[in-house]
Amino acid sequence: MFHAILFYSFAAILVVAALGVIFARNPVHAVMFLVLAFFQSAVLWLLAEAEFLAIVLVLVYVGAVMVLFLFVVMMLDVEVEEIRGGYTRYAPLGIVIAGLMVVELAQVIWLRGKEGFAVDGFRPTPEGYSNTEALGSVLYTEHVYAFEIAAVILLLAIVAAISLTMRRRPGLKQQDIASQVAVRAQDRVRIVKMASEKPE
Amino acid sequence: MLQNYIPVLIFLGIATAIGLLLMGLGFLFGRGQKDSEKLSPYECGFEPFEDSRMKFDVRYYLVAILFIIFDLEIAFLFPWAVSLDVIGGFGLAAMGIFLAVLVVGFIYEWKKGALEWD
Repeated sequence: MFHAILFYSFAAILVVAALGVIFARNPVHAVMFLVLAFFQSAVLWLLAEAEFLAIVLVLVYVGAVMVLFLFVVMMLDVEVEEIRGGYTRYAPLGIVIAGLMVVELAQVIWLRGKEGFAVDGFRPTPEGYSNTEALGSVLYTEHVYAFEIAAVILLLAIVAAISLTMRRRPGLKQQDIASQVAVRAQDRVRIVKMASEKPE
Repeated sequence: MLQNYIPVLIFLGIATAIGLLLMGLGFLFGRGQKDSEKLSPYECGFEPFEDSRMKFDVRYYLVAILFIIFDLEIAFLFPWAVSLDVIGGFGLAAMGIFLAVLVVGFIYEWKKGALEWD
């Protein structure tokens, strides 16, 4: 019962946040609503006892992807009025995608109702069961090939990001901190010994 | 399992309550005498030069992307650390190769100067 109340309240906030993403006038506010939506989805994952996915959603999406989104939004210098203008232009595409998702959802619900195809509801996991450990025990053994491919994809992402966005500005004056630290007093100050002179 | 998260739920409730309470108190008891000078951005006595929403340099984007990649790497490390006693030496070797591949990328970005902010 308490579980159901939690689920519906967090799901309601999720829907409100998702609507906020679409209807916020300021793109930065839209990104903030997206952050809220991700947090609510993380809570829903938790309620489904998918602990690891919830933490990863917060860690990777809220912590990193949303920062990237904010940078992109701020980099583009979007005017509020221009966004309003594109609203009707992209509406047909949006409606098509929304329609597809509604069909998919309906299919999932329909399939669950059918005999044989039915997926059991979430059963409470036994005491001491760790979602993260269950995931780890197959990811690094059975699916090790996919795991190493993930490493290669990440490497590719590093190389691609650097080659696409790195720009060296020639003729830039830079400090070389290592040589600054390594400097010794003898290199800078020369003490000259000389006989004292008398004023005339 | 969910019982472990009760403190998080309580904390969430308290944080929301305090946030709403403070904003609500300000809204209820504030004088609310707004005028254009009060709402304008304050800038040490002179007129603001430009809008505060200025464009960011594209180099922030590179930093954010490189951060995401290593953040994902950390996400792979968590279940590995938890299940290390189950997966044993094979898992250790698998993670070794994974990290080795990413270290190649790290050396590449270091040598390429992507970590420097000139």
